[in-house]
Parts: sequence; C-alpha cells; structure tokens
Amino acid sequence: MIAAVRMMAFGAMVAYSSGALLHEADCPNCKLPLVQNNDNFDNEVVVRYGNKRIEYRSIYCVLKDQDRYKVDLTVYSPSEKIGEPVVLKRVQGKWTAPEKAVFTMGTSKMSLCAQQSRAFSSLEGLESVRLKLELGESKPLTLTEFIEAVKKHKFEPSGGTCCSQAVSPK
Amino acid sequence: MLLAGGEPKVTSAFFSTLMPLALALASGGQAQEKPDWMNRRTEDRLSYLRGPYNRSIDLIPEFARDMYATGVGHALAYEALVRGRKDRLESQVQPQIAAILRNPPRFLVDEAAISPRFSTRFSSLEKVFEWAHTLHFQTIDVLAYPGWDFQRKEEEIQRLWKFYSAQPFALTGLPMNMDRLDGFSWSGLFRSKYPKTNALFWGYHWLQTANYDMLYGTALASQREQYAVLGDRYRTEELTRTDRDFMPMTAEISPRFARRFPQIANAFDNLHMLHDNVNDILADDRLTESQKDQAVDAAIINVLASTHRNCEPVAADEVETVAPGIHDHRHPNSMPGMGWMKGSDGDEMFMTGMGWMDMSECAHCSVSFPDSPKLTATGFAGPYGATVSSNGWTMSVRCVLCARDMASESIGRVILRAATEDPSRILVLISDEEGTFRSNLPEAVFLDEPAEHPECESWSRAFTNRAAFERYLKANPGFQSAQPLVLADWANRYNGKPETYRKISRPNPYRPNPDRLNPSGTKSPSLEVRSR
Ligand SMILES: [Cu+2]
Ligand SMILES: [Zn+2]
Ligand SMILES: [Zn+2]
Ligand SMILES: [Zn+2]
Repeated sequence: MIAAVRMMAFGAMVAYSSGALLHEADCPNCKLPLVQNNDNFDNEVVVRYGNKRIEYRSIYCVLKDQDRYKVDLTVYSPSEKIGEPVVLKRVQGKWTAPEKAVFTMGTSKMSLCAQQSRAFSSLEGLESVRLKLELGESKPLTLTEFIEAVKKHKFEPSGGTCCSQAVSPK
Repeated sequence: MLLAGGEPKVTSAFFSTLMPLALALASGGQAQEKPDWMNRRTEDRLSYLRGPYNRSIDLIPEFARDMYATGVGHALAYEALVRGRKDRLESQVQPQIAAILRNPPRFLVDEAAISPRFSTRFSSLEKVFEWAHTLHFQTIDVLAYPGWDFQRKEEEIQRLWKFYSAQPFALTGLPMNMDRLDGFSWSGLFRSKYPKTNALFWGYHWLQTANYDMLYGTALASQREQYAVLGDRYRTEELTRTDRDFMPMTAEISPRFARRFPQIANAFDNLHMLHDNVNDILADDRLTESQKDQAVDAAIINVLASTHRNCEPVAADEVETVAPGIHDHRHPNSMPGMGWMKGSDGDEMFMTGMGWMDMSECAHCSVSFPDSPKLTATGFAGPYGATVSSNGWTMSVRCVLCARDMASESIGRVILRAATEDPSRILVLISDEEGTFRSNLPEAVFLDEPAEHPECESWSRAFTNRAAFERYLKANPGFQSAQPLVLADWANRYNGKPETYRKISRPNPYRPNPDRLNPSGTKSPSLEVRSR
C-alpha cells in the first residue's frame, strides 16, 4: 500500500523524465543518452540475440559497435513509420535487410546520428520525412553502401563521437 | 546547515606554521585525542578468532589467490611511496605489481615483510590495516565454510564483528561522510598523479567488497561459479579502469550484505577511505616527512572506533542539524551500510557508470521497495527481491521479473541473485553472453503473472522447488490458475519497459565541468515521451 502511494507521488515526474532505463540510459557505442520513442517517431534501436535486447542510439552506432558480438544478430531499426521498424539481420557476419529498405548516413555533421542516421522502409518512406528529420541533401544508401560509409567514418578524437551534440528527432 | 563540503584548501606557505591547525581542521575543528597505543611501537599483534572455518577461502582457489595478491600489491606500492620511488610508480612499480596479480601467490603474504620501511614508519597504520584485513579474511572464511548452515554463519559474523570492534585498532562501523573524508587539501592527488596505480587499489577494493554478495547465502559450488565471472571481471577490467569517480563502496557492490551487516560494510568503506587518505598524503609533495607522519596519524584517528565511541548512526531524513567535521554519521535512509557521498540527497547517490540511483527504489521499475517487515512476512531472505550484477555494478531490484528484464538489457554476463521462500537459500542465476542462465538450484520454479509493479513481490517470485510454489498458491488464492515456470521458459520472457520508471537527471557531482565529455553526467535532451 505504502509503495502504491509513493508511486503516485512521483507519477508527476514521469512526464518530464526521458523514460529510458537508467542502466541503458547511455548508448553502448557513443555513451550518449538513448533516444526514446515519441509521438512522431520511433527512435529506439534494439539489437536482439539470445535472451538479450540491447538498445542503441542509432543504427550507425550498432554497426560501429558490432564487433563486440560474436553471435548472429537481429536489429530493429526505427523507420519513418511508428511501430514498423526495419528489421536487419546479421547471420554469420553477413548483413541483410528488406529489399526496398534504404538508409541515410546524415548530413556531413555526424553529431545528429539519432535523427539523421536512420533506416527507412523504402525510398518513398525516406522522402516523406526528409524535411521533418532535417535530412537536407542526405543521399539514400543501400545497405551495402551504408555499411561501407559507416566503416569509413572516423571518430573525431576529442569527444566528437557520432552523437556528440545529442540532437534527437522532434 | 553545517554542510562544509570539504575542508579548506591549504597553500604550501601555510603548511609549516599552520599544520597543526590543518590537522585539527581535518578532524572537524578540534584535534582528536591520540590513543595510547599509537605512541607505542611494539608489535601488538592480534590473533585470529579460532574457528573451524579459518582458511575456507582456499576452497575457492582463484579467489583466494587474487585476495592474497591484493596484500602484495598494497605493500609494494606503499614501500615505493616511502622510498622515494614515486616518479617510478606508474612506469615501473605498477607493471611489477600487475605481473604479480597475473600470477598470484598461493598463500597469505606477510605485508610487513614486503614493505619493511613503510611498516616501521607507519606502525600504527599497519596495525589498523592488518586488523581490518583480518576481519575481511575471517568473514570471508565463515561465508565460504561448507560445514555450517546459514544461521550459524550469521551468528559467527556477528561474533566476529564484536571480536574485531573490541580491539583498540578497530575502525568504526559507523557511516562516515565520505565527501568530507575525501575533502582535504591532498585529497585526490594520488588518483590524478598515479591513475594506473590507483586503479589497482580501487580494483582490490572492488574485489574485497564484491565477494560478500557472492558468498552470502550460497553454497560453495555456486560461489566458485560466481567467482569465475567476478574474477574475470576483476582481472580484465577492474584493476585497470581509470574512469571511476570514487572508490567502490561496499553497499554499491554488495548491497545485500551491506544491509544485513551495515557496521561491517561501513568499517570496510572506512578502511578503504583510509587507504585513499594515506595514498593522497604520501603523494603530496608540499608536505614535509614529519607533516606526512602527522597527517597519517590524523587520518587513522578520524576513522578509529574509539574516536566515535559516543556517536550514533542516523538516517538522512531524521537529521535536523548535520554534525560538523568527522562526526557526520548520516546514512541514506534505506541503506544503513553506507556513509554520505558527494551530492547525496536522502536516498539518492551517484554511481559511476550508472548515474544517479535511488536506493529506496527498484533500479528497473523505480517503484519503492516494500517495507522490510512486509518482506519478512512474505518470506524474502533479504530486504530486496533480487540483485543484478553486470559490468562491475550491482543493482537492487524489487522482483525477479525486473531482475530478468534488466539482465536481458545488459551486455555481457550477468549474475542475478534472488530471494526465495527459504531465507537461507538465494537463487543464483548466471547468464552467459547471450543471456542463457545457469541455476544453482536446479529444482527452482517461477511465478510470473505480471500485473502492477507496486505489488510485484506477490506476482513475480522464485521458489526453490515446485512444492514451495504449490504452498504459495494455496496461501494466495488469487494465483490459483498460475503455472510454475521452469528456468528455460521463464528466462526467455520479457515484460517490456516498466512505465513507472523514472530517471533522475542530475549532473555528475564529481565532474562539475560541463565541457568535458562525461557520459553518465550528461543531461538528456528534453524529450517528450509518448504516453503508453
Ligand atoms: Cu563520530
Ligand atoms: Zn551512439
Ligand atoms: Zn522493479
Ligand atoms: Zn517488479
């Protein structure tokens, strides 16, 4: 009973907290806060294997961090549509995604990874949210192109990780 | 409020004339009386309390060797510090110690033999250290001893604490204000000048605290299995990590033990703080040798049981005026086994790697822990439903469902320790990298009927066997249709993110500089959460 009462007391606070679990509040790759789903976009990128479900800040961060996992992976990467993630699989090291899926690396600034480094169900899907996500001239990439682009992208040495400004979709 | 928030920083010109004053400040405005024994340079060696359990640590051979090696590590670093080899600490001494840690001794090593100059010069300190290390080893031996049942061990640990505290070299079991003990002009010097050597010290202290929840309420076979995970963590990560903001605290790493034996937990933290104090003093080039001697004496006196013989611990919210200096014995309301930390507030404290935690709440769903009497009545072994240990941290959660889901959201191996209907048997589940659990109680079954979290201690439970499950259902007709789940079926369930979760968004108190990239202290962008 006491617990229930206390819980109601902090109910009000829930509204302005991020809702992220504390132990997963930081992206395992860039160590910046995870971005929760909101009314406009799903943002939670989840890596699944065995009984594990590890959350990342962006699909970029998943690919950058993938070497730590030795097993096959399934990744749920939010798309332009709420509740319909693009599902990627890594089987014996080889990545696959739905045929029509496209990806964006983001603008030249990699500080916006949660917002701009994303997966989309299709080219049309990407174009429908280009303005909202402020994707600018960002090129649609196939999975193979995207993986290559992530590989080539280098961390800036001093705190300049992909998400250093922690911008997220509004 | 008399919250000093650390002592005034003293300049070097100040030192020669005002050192006695500085030392007085160090002990809270008035110089503490030096106990008689500190003026005697005799051997004064104390013996172990006799018991059939002594040396039971050797039954967990890897753990024993790692523990023995910590003594060597301490001694080598100290000897280097007093022999003017400070500038070689990081480049030569640290690698030398690391090599010993990789190939640890099979026996308890006499630290005084390795650090003759240090032990002679700081003989009082050596006695305090040795006596506290004896408490460490004897409590470990009792918990590792297979010949006694849970109850007998509980009694013996109490007896050991009495035996320990009765001696003049005993450290206080009161919670101490860690922020103040770490607030002298020399505080933090060692960790900033010699980060790699400091990592060794904090690594030992992690091991010396992590082992208690590993040993508590579990049988030898499980203790060994758990050490396979913890020892690996210790050797590969904890001994080298330099990202800790503060030394590991017992209640942080072994919350169940700290709550059960708060005085012992506090004594270990006070011991570890004394280690840090001594390191910092010896690292301070502004002090003359005799000033160092005086400062070390003052540091010892600050944490001696005799200094605080008229003091009482007090819950944070029951304090009207915070006591000055070293006599602030506040503890977080729901954790009597921990002193006051920098930035703490009520039950909230900052933990490196986890951010701000509220110790009165489940780390996964943020619902307050049920009050202890209720827990006893429902048969929990401890105050908490379960703990989850991974990547060097340990978190307390309200129920096994929260523990399981938290484990699945954590990268790498996880140790989950859950209360069962039998207070003397803790269910230990160790997961591999993929989240597949191994159990220490093969007959265990689970009740998993998710409803509202404030009642989760009733609908999410672990039982040592099916008969206990059936008894629970008889006593709680609301669950009549529930089926007992075996581990494999229970383990691959997932209940989603609890909507009751709240994150405490406050900056890291140890790193107030916002320019520095600081993961745990970074403020989240203000995001609106979709109502679920
Ligand atoms: Cu006191
Ligand atoms: Zn990231
Ligand atoms: Zn919970
Ligand atoms: Zn729960």
